[in-house]
Amino acid sequence: MFLPIGDAGRAELVERRIAEAIMGGHLRAGDRLPSEADLAHTMGVAPVTVREALLGLRSRGLVVTRRGRNGGSFVSAEADPLVFAREALVASSRFAIRDLGVHYAALTMAGTRLAARRAALSEVAAIRIRLAKLDTAVGQKPGASELSAWRQTMDDLQLELVALSQSARLTRDQMRLQAEFSPLLRLIDVDAGTRSRHRELFGSVLDAVEAGDEDAAGAATERLVGDAIDALDALRLQADDF
Amino acid sequence: MHSDFRRTISDERQLVYDAEHGAVDRMWPTTIGDAISATTVPASGATTSALDSASSIVSAYFARLLSVLEDHAEQLSREIIFQGREGLTATRIDDLVEPHANELLDYASEPIYGAGFIATVDLLADAPSHLAWWQGADRRKLVFPPRSVKQGIDYRELEWFRIPSLTGNSHVAGPYVDYLCSDEYTMTAAAPVLVDGNFVGVAGLDVLIETIERRLTPPLRALGFPVLLVNGVNRVLVSTDPRLSPGDVLRHQPVLDRRRCDAVDLEIVVLH
Repeated sequence: MFLPIGDAGRAELVERRIAEAIMGGHLRAGDRLPSEADLAHTMGVAPVTVREALLGLRSRGLVVTRRGRNGGSFVSAEADPLVFAREALVASSRFAIRDLGVHYAALTMAGTRLAARRAALSEVAAIRIRLAKLDTAVGQKPGASELSAWRQTMDDLQLELVALSQSARLTRDQMRLQAEFSPLLRLIDVDAGTRSRHRELFGSVLDAVEAGDEDAAGAATERLVGDAIDALDALRLQADDF
Repeated sequence: MHSDFRRTISDERQLVYDAEHGAVDRMWPTTIGDAISATTVPASGATTSALDSASSIVSAYFARLLSVLEDHAEQLSREIIFQGREGLTATRIDDLVEPHANELLDYASEPIYGAGFIATVDLLADAPSHLAWWQGADRRKLVFPPRSVKQGIDYRELEWFRIPSLTGNSHVAGPYVDYLCSDEYTMTAAAPVLVDGNFVGVAGLDVLIETIERRLTPPLRALGFPVLLVNGVNRVLVSTDPRLSPGDVLRHQPVLDRRRCDAVDLEIVVLH
């Protein structure tokens, strides 16, 4: 246990971080990655570690490298967050999905309960305004980029609400868990009924936070996360039918 | 704003701060402390004088931070004018801002967690929006992956950007969990940067609530009255009242008295 950790394993960490950004849709097909030097600098590792990570990403088909004047590393044209999410869902056991849901619900409930005690009305109102804008932003037949923007806004509003707990630790954990959970949510976002239900449920979380009602805020959050998990679990069950 | 005028204000603030800190270190424990120990039930006169003292301690603390920040904002504005606003790129802005950020992070009197400049949406030729920001013990430059949650945030809506852009005055925002930059519980001081009278962005610095708590608790404790330092939405920054802690919001608690601070939009509150 007292052996030096060194740079071994760091390349895998860098690779995982970038792979997660691609699979989660934060880096999209065709996006240019920062230069090796910039990546090394911002991620606090040696350039050789970044090079090794990029090698791994290339061999997995997530990244392509082009030479020449406009060269560099780019997210592969085939990278589709929905395909990655479906693969991740099928590769997970139902137990793991339910357990992720339990974890996410527990954390988010703690955050929104505390927000109900500590949020200012103006702060809740600001979230509500952005939620209202989201209503009109999604049409009847949204394309991939509209759906992606919808998910990003929902994630952002949820994070903002948890941040109103005034707890830095809860907010950091929410960000980490959201990065894991959010790619899967894209699979159920395609259903218009699910989207409108989730918008409504999130609205009732806001109502409870605004009223300063901790118990109602916790209960509404549990309904929102529970609904998402049920939908994901149903998708997972269907996947076994093929 | 004329620079000579600003200089005068800054110097005054510095003097106020120095005077107060002498007072904090030497005077409070003796004069105020004796005054309070003389009576067990706080007389209203004693409350008033404790509120006044608390308010000047807090005002002096933030006035000094703001004057340092405003000096940098003004220098930066001169450098942008010298450089020329046309064709300004993100890289060029980074080069202009980095020495200022470093100097702010070097600020000896108080640990500053992060510092930099946030451009208005249409300032740069090659980027719709830009944060030139350095933070943490290793002074890492902040870089967001494209389309991450953080990248998508419209900072024009955020208090530390919105208020200086609307009022043309410096502002201290928070406390809030700053999930955009530090991921910590933070106060952000922001000063508008003006070029030919036009707002082009804010120069800012982050101070962690922990830092402020460490600095302000001893002098506030020495007043002998439990007091709360709250922001514009009644959220507690620092408390010497065991009933409330940083992050809590005053709602139904019975307020005995409150006093505005001069340099900054904060209030001192004493509860019944």
